Amino acid sequence: MNDYLLIVLATLATASRVLGLIGLSIVTGWFLGYAAIKDRVFENFYVSMIEVLESVPVVTFFPIVLIFFVEDVGGKLGVELAADFLIFTAVVWNIWMGIYQAYKTVPKEMVEVIENYRLGFLGKLINCYIPSSMPRIAANLFPSAADGFFYITVSEVFSIGTTSFSAFGIGSVIQELISARDFQLVHFALAVMGVMIVGLTLALRELSQLVVARYTLDTDVPIRRRGRLRLRYSARLSAVMSRAPLTRLSVYLRRQRVYTSKEVIPMPVEEDRGRGRTLRYIRRGIAAVILAAIVYGVFRTVEGVGLSTWSTLFLSTPSIFLDTAYDYLRVVVITAVSLAIASTVGYYVAVNPKVEKILIPLIQILSSYPAPLYFPLLFFYSYAGVSSVFGAYTAEFYVLLLGFLSTFYYVFFSFWMGVKSLPQEYWELMKNVGMNFPQRMRYVILPSVFPYLIAGLSSTVNSTWGGLMIGEYWPDIYDGRNLYVTHGLMGLLASFTSRGEIPEVAWGSLVFAVIVVLFSIFFTRRMMDLARTKYVAEEGIYAA
Amino acid sequence: MAFTYENGYTVFDGVNVSTHEDELVAIVGPSGVGKSTLLRILGGFIRPTRGEVRLLGKKVFRPIPEIALIHQSIVTFPWMTALENVMLSLKPKRVPKEEAEKVARKMLELVGLQGFEELYPKEMSGGMRQRIAIARALAADPLILLMDEPFSHLDELTAEGLRHELYSMLFNQDITLKSVVLVSHSLNEVLELADLIYVLNGHPASVVGTLRVDMERPRNPRDPRFLEYLDLLYKYLTPIKGKRFE
Repeated sequence: MNDYLLIVLATLATASRVLGLIGLSIVTGWFLGYAAIKDRVFENFYVSMIEVLESVPVVTFFPIVLIFFVEDVGGKLGVELAADFLIFTAVVWNIWMGIYQAYKTVPKEMVEVIENYRLGFLGKLINCYIPSSMPRIAANLFPSAADGFFYITVSEVFSIGTTSFSAFGIGSVIQELISARDFQLVHFALAVMGVMIVGLTLALRELSQLVVARYTLDTDVPIRRRGRLRLRYSARLSAVMSRAPLTRLSVYLRRQRVYTSKEVIPMPVEEDRGRGRTLRYIRRGIAAVILAAIVYGVFRTVEGVGLSTWSTLFLSTPSIFLDTAYDYLRVVVITAVSLAIASTVGYYVAVNPKVEKILIPLIQILSSYPAPLYFPLLFFYSYAGVSSVFGAYTAEFYVLLLGFLSTFYYVFFSFWMGVKSLPQEYWELMKNVGMNFPQRMRYVILPSVFPYLIAGLSSTVNSTWGGLMIGEYWPDIYDGRNLYVTHGLMGLLASFTSRGEIPEVAWGSLVFAVIVVLFSIFFTRRMMDLARTKYVAEEGIYAA
Repeated sequence: MAFTYENGYTVFDGVNVSTHEDELVAIVGPSGVGKSTLLRILGGFIRPTRGEVRLLGKKVFRPIPEIALIHQSIVTFPWMTALENVMLSLKPKRVPKEEAEKVARKMLELVGLQGFEELYPKEMSGGMRQRIAIARALAADPLILLMDEPFSHLDELTAEGLRHELYSMLFNQDITLKSVVLVSHSLNEVLELADLIYVLNGHPASVVGTLRVDMERPRNPRDPRFLEYLDLLYKYLTPIKGKRFE
């Protein structure tokens, strides 16, 4: 087949894979979210599961899942399912949680109306719950699409032991082209990917705009019924479309009591009771099936490991801790640099509408362009200069750079959105009392942006770890060169996987997952609670 | 002064207002007449399309601490206690912390919030939050206080209580404040508080009348003179085309 055509088809295949899985996440989220608000038991399980899995980076459980799909399912289907699973887990948690939260914050009065008319299950979903979830879905489309694309190079090409597997898509095609040293086609492929990203970003913008205008309660964005794609208009309103749902949500959370099913759902009439019980069994059945799948996975891993292997694994645990510490240090450095840039450039952009109009769409497109795809080229062109400056730390620099490219945009957007959401009255007050930039930052802006930053950082953790995993162990990154660092758990896991050392991969992943969950419980969640209870700027504006 | 929006709509034209020492000036008018815009022009937050603002003869180009704005939506910072909220306006002046705290406590006492210094705004009622906003504005040693419908988000009883105290709070020997400009659409409110009332009306709006209120404080809304003033204001707000009242 013509190479150029192949590249175009591969790009379309990748885009379809990512978008299809986002679609699947949305549809499943609608039903599971509804099940969650109707049943306490299922709700507890569902929310806890999302919270735990959201905080565990995709890359930690990917090796295990990969082996399951490749060995147990096998063939091309197994490889395709492995790729799909990785992308699905990258996009799904945000969307499921967003839909659940949207359902929970449907105004009480609206729920009473649909209960009043005694609409059926689908009637309630179609007329009330699904429309209410649209703004949250729109807000999550950008990060989800970017997350999905981020993993295309890892998901489409992977190796277990000496065997390499690949699923058709632009990620695998570019890898092949790099191995074949066909740089002209590599450039073409990157350009096609670029066109696709630009098109997709603009389409998502337009979609979000329509969704916000139509489905956000009490929105000031005018409703549009028909008409051509208005690129300039949609670009100018980028702030509104991505910000409004979040802002509105905070307003709803503040002003409207979140209802629980017990409070507002009237007691069913006698003939409905049997059906209600059946539905409850179905919901709990779904929870049981998911739980069983997790338990089965754990059991299979444990039973396949002999006693001597267990002792080796336990002995290797201290070095896993050390490597994890190295990676956390990298995460801290990357986050600090991202924050420093975001809080200066992000502030400048937010307060300069002209710059904002040009820069935000540009950054949005760049953020959707998966860093692992263009990173080999960046490596190739900069290697000579970077190695002459950093010497022995060249590999470290590139690992941090890839981690930064995977993280920065999210931090930047979180900060920018936070600044844009600052109440107008705060701006006037800061001007009025004559605050300078550091004072504005310290006393008003950083506290106001804090909830956005924490939410942003907790959802970027996946990409940061993903960036580290790719960067710390990247054989033949470009032109026969390798990118390795001596310390770092992500690199260690990747190298275990490529050597087929499955028990080590599983143990390392498990230890890391436990650390991440503990970190999430004892740090991230506390920070989020603090943000919710103390740093909601909208609560500082009292309007009856 | 005149102000025209970007879309070419002139909201008011030929407006001239002034205020003097120990004077509370009110600007009244129907909704959409540009009262809040005019107040923001007076504070240097917006530039007029035509005309200028002067404070003691000097041109005002931008917001300055000498002219403090109290918002219609009550503004406090939820992550700061009442005391910290008030101390905020002293930060740009680099006042030492102990001194700033002393001033802030004094201002909170002045607005009747003694004993509530360590509470967060969320733990307070709307009226108390507005008192914090007033204390914060006063702590910056302003000469002019601009108040944009400061009672509109309070319930009637709270608003009435605060109105009763406002004059003594503001015109007090302990503070530097010289004058207050109040925007409101409540005629009772401005009659209760103001020394001088400017009435804005028309399209584009202009000052259709000025009214000097010559009554002792506290003013009783049932007083026949109060009602006379009220009738006058109503008359100004439903003017015969082209006629101007003085």
